[in-house]
Amino acid sequence: MIPEPVNIAEALRYMGHKETEVSENLLSIISDCERKLLEAIKPEYTYRCFDIENTEKGVFLCKTALTLLGKDIKEHLSGCEKAVLMCATLGTGCDGLIRKLSVSDISGHFVTNALANALIEQICDNAEKEIKEKFPDMYMTWRFSPGYGDFPISQQADFLNVTDAGKRIGLYLSDGGMLIPSKSVTAVMGLSETPIKQTRQSCSGCSMREKCSFRKRGERCGS
Amino acid sequence: MDLKQLLKKDFIFLDGAMGTMLQKAGLEIGGIPELLNITDPKLIQNIHEQYISAGSDIVYANTFGANRYKLKNESVEKVITAAVAIAKKACNNKALTALDIGPVGQLLEPSGTLRFEEAYDIFKEQIIAGKDADIIVFETMTDLYELKAAVLAAKEHSDKPILCTMTFEENQRTFTGCSISSMALTLNGLGVDAIGINCSLGPEQLVPLCDELLKWTDLPVILKPNAGLPDPVTNEYNVSPEDFAGQMKTAAEHGVKFLGGCCGTNPDFIKALKNALKDTAVQRIPSEKKAAVCSPSKTVIIDQPRIIGERINPTGKKLFKEALKSCDMGYILSQAAEQVNAGADILDVNVGLPEIDEKNMMIKAVKEIQSITDTPLQIDSTIPEVLEAALRLYNGKPIVNSVNGEEKSLEAVLPLVKKYGAAVVGLTLDQNGIPSKAEQRFEIAKKILNRALEYGIPKEDVFIDCLTLTASAEQEAVMETLKALKRVKDELGLKTVLGVSNISFGLPNRPIINQCFLTMAMTYGLDLPIINPNIDAMTGAVRAFKLLSNMDKNSVEFIEAYNQLPQKTQPTAADTSEISLSYAIENGLKDESAKAVEKLLENSDSMDIVDNILIPALDKAGEQFEKGKIFLPQLILTAGAAQAAFAVIREKMRTSDSAPVSKGKIVLATVKGDIHDIGKNIVKVLLENYGYDVIDLGKDVPPEKVAEAAETHKVKLVGLSALMTTTLVSMEDTIKLLHEKKIDCKIVVGGAVLTPEYAKKINADFYAKDAKETVDVAKQIIG
Repeated sequence: MIPEPVNIAEALRYMGHKETEVSENLLSIISDCERKLLEAIKPEYTYRCFDIENTEKGVFLCKTALTLLGKDIKEHLSGCEKAVLMCATLGTGCDGLIRKLSVSDISGHFVTNALANALIEQICDNAEKEIKEKFPDMYMTWRFSPGYGDFPISQQADFLNVTDAGKRIGLYLSDGGMLIPSKSVTAVMGLSETPIKQTRQSCSGCSMREKCSFRKRGERCGS
Repeated sequence: MDLKQLLKKDFIFLDGAMGTMLQKAGLEIGGIPELLNITDPKLIQNIHEQYISAGSDIVYANTFGANRYKLKNESVEKVITAAVAIAKKACNNKALTALDIGPVGQLLEPSGTLRFEEAYDIFKEQIIAGKDADIIVFETMTDLYELKAAVLAAKEHSDKPILCTMTFEENQRTFTGCSISSMALTLNGLGVDAIGINCSLGPEQLVPLCDELLKWTDLPVILKPNAGLPDPVTNEYNVSPEDFAGQMKTAAEHGVKFLGGCCGTNPDFIKALKNALKDTAVQRIPSEKKAAVCSPSKTVIIDQPRIIGERINPTGKKLFKEALKSCDMGYILSQAAEQVNAGADILDVNVGLPEIDEKNMMIKAVKEIQSITDTPLQIDSTIPEVLEAALRLYNGKPIVNSVNGEEKSLEAVLPLVKKYGAAVVGLTLDQNGIPSKAEQRFEIAKKILNRALEYGIPKEDVFIDCLTLTASAEQEAVMETLKALKRVKDELGLKTVLGVSNISFGLPNRPIINQCFLTMAMTYGLDLPIINPNIDAMTGAVRAFKLLSNMDKNSVEFIEAYNQLPQKTQPTAADTSEISLSYAIENGLKDESAKAVEKLLENSDSMDIVDNILIPALDKAGEQFEKGKIFLPQLILTAGAAQAAFAVIREKMRTSDSAPVSKGKIVLATVKGDIHDIGKNIVKVLLENYGYDVIDLGKDVPPEKVAEAAETHKVKLVGLSALMTTTLVSMEDTIKLLHEKKIDCKIVVGGAVLTPEYAKKINADFYAKDAKETVDVAKQIIG
């Protein structure tokens, strides 16, 4: 997987930068951090496709023992025959670089963190593109992650287990249930043979609604 | 039958996949395969038997994930005992049973949260439960640190042979960045019986990796690849048994001895493999036996002068001593980062101070330095117990500094060097002190080498220090040192070390003496100068020497070090010296603010600059941020520029020996379970800029640690941060404990998911929405 230029506009948004004008100094720090980041990361993704069945509690993944729980995931996958479970990570090198910068360079620490947040989304976009190519005749929903709505974050462990994410891309959970390496994403996409009525990504259904940093600043996470 | 007998054969055949076979038999995806040892032992036995009749000499018991963490409620002992018994029954003395151990399933520190000692305990339990197996196998490892914990647990609780394989990607690195050379150097040293590669890719992609591995080890090598790559949709692998066998044949010809299959393979693959290797001739080239040390991701080959940075050492350094006493890891880490940036290849770590617990401090220092740099370390202590503690926890292959010719020292240090597979510095002195003549020092070097060889330490891991004496006191001794060095190098063929700076003690213009002596020593064959790499005259001399002696081919390294990147365009004045300090800080210009403060220090007092320029500039930025005139990036850039200015001021105070004034101490921590610490780090820099002493406990900090630090340091303010909804409860627990213990301090909390209401609910005294507000709270509480 060849690293690509980071989506700087998105990274600036993560930094909380509101002006249209970006200072030369900040730009030069960004380009320096971007270079180091692209050297340090080893982006990986993996995914696995399952036939699904609706149950009372949620959505059952065939040939596994796993039911994705909650009414939100059920709604997300409604009308779909299959679900793709996807995991992506920038690798431990990214965490190492961010740790190193925390000691020697606070601006670099902050900027690199935001760049990495933007980049992991780009890696997910790449994975999504590949999946779409694998299923050219099917329609796909957007990415829905454990922790969204009432889809419990505690299912993260089962998620990693059925995708074999530890072995395939080196993605694990910490004791506290966090994804490690920290710049990682897990998400579920539904696949359907017929067009999908997309429910828009919106704040009203989001469990982070009251606590979201974007909303605190009067912004939104989705584009 | 045992492994020794098997090793007489040209090739030893391992088995193929277990998981793939079980999924074919109906195991659900994500199910726990090890539970079948209890619920369906016949199924497991049948799979082993199929492999044995296909030709496997060793079968792996169905114990890969049978650990405390993955089995949860099932007993590890019960599952493993059953699995080993099934395998032994299937083997029926025709094959050997291996206790198969995979990764715990959680990442170790520093990336993850699993502690090295906990990983050791988890493996220990598995090894004891699998005592009836013939061999212990660790496989599919991606973290060298985890594998080291596993090997130590095996060595200390079993006498069975140990086979280790790690999983590499096509870029010849594991997911955690471990290289093949680092794996080989570390495992060679730990004394395992065979090493190799398994899983991830097919044989075609893994053969080149085996070739690289064969260059770094003389141990038997193992290859157990997948049947190609899996299709993400169907999960089918894409290489046939015949193609698999054909590709494996190349590896066998190059000298790979243990051969088998991993994911996607079945008994047909083993059968085909065995057929393909009939009459195959092996041509294994012995490894080069290079002198080298490593961290997991960086191997330093000592085939040219390599700089050992000497700055992590309290001797004669007031600030360093203070940092050790107050356990200020930030200071020590900044010393590490600075030396690495300046060009150190290896860092010496000495934290010996009579007033402190050296062992605990060494453990902390080694772990934390390794978490921010991949530069290999040299563990420096006079106490064997301290050396052992560090050797155990070091990730990779370090250098031990040091042993000497005295019997007591040899007996105490060399067994540790052997057990943990380190390299060692031998000082040419003994109970009679430092001999004055080169011949006598050479004799001590010879004695140290011979004793090391007796302990089984390879020659290339012994580095000799012929000892620098002070020229002002013993002028005639200078050349004796260099003569001894040359003889050790030429006649014993050993690498040489020398602490350089001592040469000029008591003389004026020390830098020129140091630089000249360093150059002389390199001409006599010095490999490992111990110097201050931050002094460019020293680092530059090493670089120039390498260029002039034709080691730095085409001057690549030299040019890279000195050919500055094109000057960045700045928003204003072309001549940066015209930029004022306050302008540099307001605009977040780091280098310029350091330069500006240096210039100001020529004529003004440090505290004047702090009070009249730095603090007002920070206040102004904070105010503008509050009013929404500038945003977070600018605020942090400002903080970073101020930080650079403060570093210059502190350095100035250090040389003039005046201690910096502290406004008071504050404890900061990211709470238990939370590993996102960026917000806390920004708060820390801002608080330090305002003159507070921050005791940074790091991330994932248990409540007890926060309480303990608050109590010992008698702080008035504790700052807690949490970024995830799932870890807010740890924040609440921490506050509860601080209140229960009646620790007289205020608590300020912050973090993305917090709200003022929630802060109130969990009984925090203050909520700070950003770093700026935390400073306001500190001003209010401490002043």
